[in-house]
Amino acid sequence: MNNPHKPLEIHDLTVSYQRKPVLYGIDLEIEEGSLVGVIGPNGAGKSTLVKTIMNMVKPNGGYVKIFGRAPKAGISRIGYVPQRETVDWDFPVTVMDVVLMGRYGHLGWLRKIGETDRRIACECLEQVHMLPYANRQIGNLSGGQQQRVFLARALAQESSLYLMDEPFAGVDAVTEKTIVSILKEMRDRGKTLVIVHHDLASAREYFDHLLLLNMRKVAYGKTEEVFKPDLLQKTYGGRLSILSDMASKSAGVRVIEKEAYFTEK
Amino acid sequence: MKLGLENFHFAGGFSVISKILLGGVFTLLLPQVLSAEQIRGPESIEFFDRAMRFFEMRDHSVRVVALGSVLIGISCGMMGSYVVTRKLSLFGDTLSHAVLPGIAIGFLWAESKDNLALLLGASFAGFLGVACISLLKKFTKISQDSALGIVLSGFYAVGICMLTRIQKMDFGNQSGLDTYLFGQVSALSTNDLIGVCASLVLITLFITLNYKELLISGFDPEYARSVRLPADILQYLLWALLAFCVITSLQVVGVILASALLIIPAASASLLAKRMSSYLCIAASLGAISGLVGAFLSFLGERLPTGPLIVLTASFLFLLILVFRPHHGILVCWVKSRLQSHRIAMENTLKAIYQVIERHNFSETSIRMEELMQRRNLGSGECMKEVNRLSRSGFATASLDPHSPSGLPPEKRVSLTPKGWEYACRIVRNHRLWELYLTNEARYAPDHVHEDAEKIEHVLGEETIRELERILSNPRRDPHGKLIPSLVDIERGWLG
Amino acid sequence: MELMDVSLFPAFDFSRVFIEPWKTPASVAWNGQVILMGLFICWTCGVLGSFIVVRRMALMGDAISHGILPGLALAFLFTGSLALAPMWVGACLAGLACSYCIEWLRLHTPIRQDAALGLVFTSFFALGVTLISLGAGDVHLDPDCILYGEIGFVPLSPSLRIGGMDLGNQALWTMGGVCSLIMGAVLVFYRHLLVSSFDSTLARSMGIRVRRIHFGLMLGLALATVACLESVGVILVVAMLVFPSVTASFFFVRLSSLLWASFPLGAAYSIGGFHLAQWLDCSLAGAMATFAGIVFIPCCLLGPQDGIIWKLRRGTNNFRMN
Repeated sequence: MNNPHKPLEIHDLTVSYQRKPVLYGIDLEIEEGSLVGVIGPNGAGKSTLVKTIMNMVKPNGGYVKIFGRAPKAGISRIGYVPQRETVDWDFPVTVMDVVLMGRYGHLGWLRKIGETDRRIACECLEQVHMLPYANRQIGNLSGGQQQRVFLARALAQESSLYLMDEPFAGVDAVTEKTIVSILKEMRDRGKTLVIVHHDLASAREYFDHLLLLNMRKVAYGKTEEVFKPDLLQKTYGGRLSILSDMASKSAGVRVIEKEAYFTEK
Repeated sequence: MKLGLENFHFAGGFSVISKILLGGVFTLLLPQVLSAEQIRGPESIEFFDRAMRFFEMRDHSVRVVALGSVLIGISCGMMGSYVVTRKLSLFGDTLSHAVLPGIAIGFLWAESKDNLALLLGASFAGFLGVACISLLKKFTKISQDSALGIVLSGFYAVGICMLTRIQKMDFGNQSGLDTYLFGQVSALSTNDLIGVCASLVLITLFITLNYKELLISGFDPEYARSVRLPADILQYLLWALLAFCVITSLQVVGVILASALLIIPAASASLLAKRMSSYLCIAASLGAISGLVGAFLSFLGERLPTGPLIVLTASFLFLLILVFRPHHGILVCWVKSRLQSHRIAMENTLKAIYQVIERHNFSETSIRMEELMQRRNLGSGECMKEVNRLSRSGFATASLDPHSPSGLPPEKRVSLTPKGWEYACRIVRNHRLWELYLTNEARYAPDHVHEDAEKIEHVLGEETIRELERILSNPRRDPHGKLIPSLVDIERGWLG
Repeated sequence: MELMDVSLFPAFDFSRVFIEPWKTPASVAWNGQVILMGLFICWTCGVLGSFIVVRRMALMGDAISHGILPGLALAFLFTGSLALAPMWVGACLAGLACSYCIEWLRLHTPIRQDAALGLVFTSFFALGVTLISLGAGDVHLDPDCILYGEIGFVPLSPSLRIGGMDLGNQALWTMGGVCSLIMGAVLVFYRHLLVSSFDSTLARSMGIRVRRIHFGLMLGLALATVACLESVGVILVVAMLVFPSVTASFFFVRLSSLLWASFPLGAAYSIGGFHLAQWLDCSLAGAMATFAGIVFIPCCLLGPQDGIIWKLRRGTNNFRMN
């Protein structure tokens, strides 16, 4: 695919909401076909970043562009795998239903789910080794299986950019390996994947790009360039307290007037 | 309507119990309540007369109604504090509906509207409802809200069936029954008052005796269990008391609105109180006020229902608190944001003046209005308003240029007073220090930092500035190479 | 005069309960209308209720159904008549206002959702009752009717005439219209409803307006409530909303199955409730909801999906194995 726009472009993004973790002036451009791990300590704003990209949180400044489009229009091209805790597992849907939901975006208004959609859904389930469970209610699955179902749904969406919030949380070692191999395979097919990850130890082998995040972007680049003790120290070595203080204070300031933008040069 | 008097022989007992338990305020009131004969005045009393009659409290019915409403308001307010903080709000609603079949059974059992039987029946049904909810929660995957919905509507349906059945059966005296749906405060008897008092006393005793245990088990049940507090038993006792409280208030506000008296005062208190003790006090007093005002309002009109009016008063108080509460109230927030935007606009104007002066290399002390207009990107009217506001605060003075070329109208010029100059320097200093901090410490690109500093400059406190100076070791130049006015400069008054 | 039956449970007489209502053509027509009305109500509420229950908003049904009261009262006070159109507009607006207030309180104050819900709907209801007793004290719009309705009066409703043609019972037509409207909307928006209930983020990324779906559902709820109001009353609307899908959830694990199951269940409630009321000689609507409760109990105990009995037996088996 020759796309003139980068899958994900973030410019000077500032997000703050009531005393919660914030993002401060993030600049980021992700190339097509990269497998990016987002790592940082708790409360570093990893989930906030994902939420902002998914247009669930409005930024205070800066912008996000998905394939050159604003999030509102752009998120239709994102396959999103939510954090496991945010899903209602008692919801009356089967595994197959969940995967088919991934196809809804491709269906027109009032169009029925066709044979092709079912076939694709089955293939996706097969890929994550979940086809035998297709008629189970999602609550009756183990944590790893649930995660794989959502991965299958993302696969069925056939998006070009994938966003996953902690896909390895509460997952057994075997599933983790399966998921990683699927992720790598997806990358090889030219998909772009952005994955929020909490485990520093495994990050090095899983991802080929890393974004070190702690309120601000500490570093972004190839894993071997970024995975350096001094940068990691900076990421995990506490936050700049003044920065976080001021960020939450400035959240209260509304920009009331549209001022002339005078560049001080 | 005569129900108020039918159990008059209990009056002595009532007085003793309440004297012991309620103390001060009510002892003055109660003897009058009990000794007065009931006066039902003519129906066409003027509005004003009605109000007077209410305040004089000469009628027996008025006293019973007012006292009952106030007492129920207090007990519901206190109970509600625990209901709302423990996220049981809809539990009260469910409970108040679930008691309906119990009322019907109690009626059947006693074959008349006997309060004790009704109370027992209602308690039985209430506890059965609570048990059903706990069982559904424990043994099925039905979510809490559905379980509440099932118990609420299921029990209520059975209750409706029984009530309609009873109406078809041959009982002479069943008139009091439908008052349980909406409550009929005028039918409140002294006997009912005993129940209300008893529930208030029980609740007060329970809360005062178990205050800290309730606090711990409500806030952190796991911890409560770990220190061997009987959190479960407390929970069940609380439910039992809740049922009792709801049942006694049914007569006044009715099934549907009983939960309102639990929730609304407590929710209002949650907007104000910081501690559980003040929470309880606020909720109880709000409950009492709504009870009194509601009773008063319903006394004013002919057919006005007391229960709904009490609830409406409570909601009105809630609205008042929502709007006028300190710190986060709608009004306070609005005023704050107005003040803040005025301050920010003023600071921006001061900064713009500074920047114009800076562009002239600090050679002149006043600037032309036109330059300021350009800098601030404002029209002349708006700009004039800003300058006027500055001069009113003593930060700047506007004057006409004596040296303007003849023939043209004289130009307006603005100059800063020493105070204004100091303020402007401080804002510019804030802005530039922050830019420098972002570039040096947080590693932002210099062309990124301006927009952010535009906001932060208005909220940087004195302490943060000192901290920034320390970190940046008293810098002289900002990332764009401009002079950062130093403290000494500011004190000296002028630069350059 | 005949002595009235004094026991709570009159003797069960098969022919009186099951045969008599269907003996003469006139009684068949009369009772048929009642049962048809019951069917419409159960189906409408069952389908809406499935979505409301899976969204964990079962008590939102309670809230909205109470919250429409001031709308009804205001509509009556302004127009001075019991005409349908203003009543419906008033009720729907009040229902939406109620759900909006709940949302606002939840988002902008520290008050939690359950408290916000309880606070708003009781206030709305109190306002409604007060308005009614202020302005409409003598008229038919009495709170009792709104509380438990009387479906038995449905055949008394005037007949609908269009261009001189007598089309039959007006109340029945109205309810049927609402029923088909809501069915149609659910058919068209099924996928939107499913996705936005299960995973609102996915829904948003597919361009679904999640908030609009939410308020649409609330509007449907208000519409259904006001249509059912005269027949079954507020609380029994809640029963009809909650019971079908919760009962069905002991048998099925898919939302679409829950929806389909609400049709036979609705029929069972309607017919069973009718005969229960025949036997006990009590409120029809109450009997229908009671019957729903009666059906619920064995399903909850014996249902193949997580029925209590199976769970307990599995529990003891595990215990033995240990």
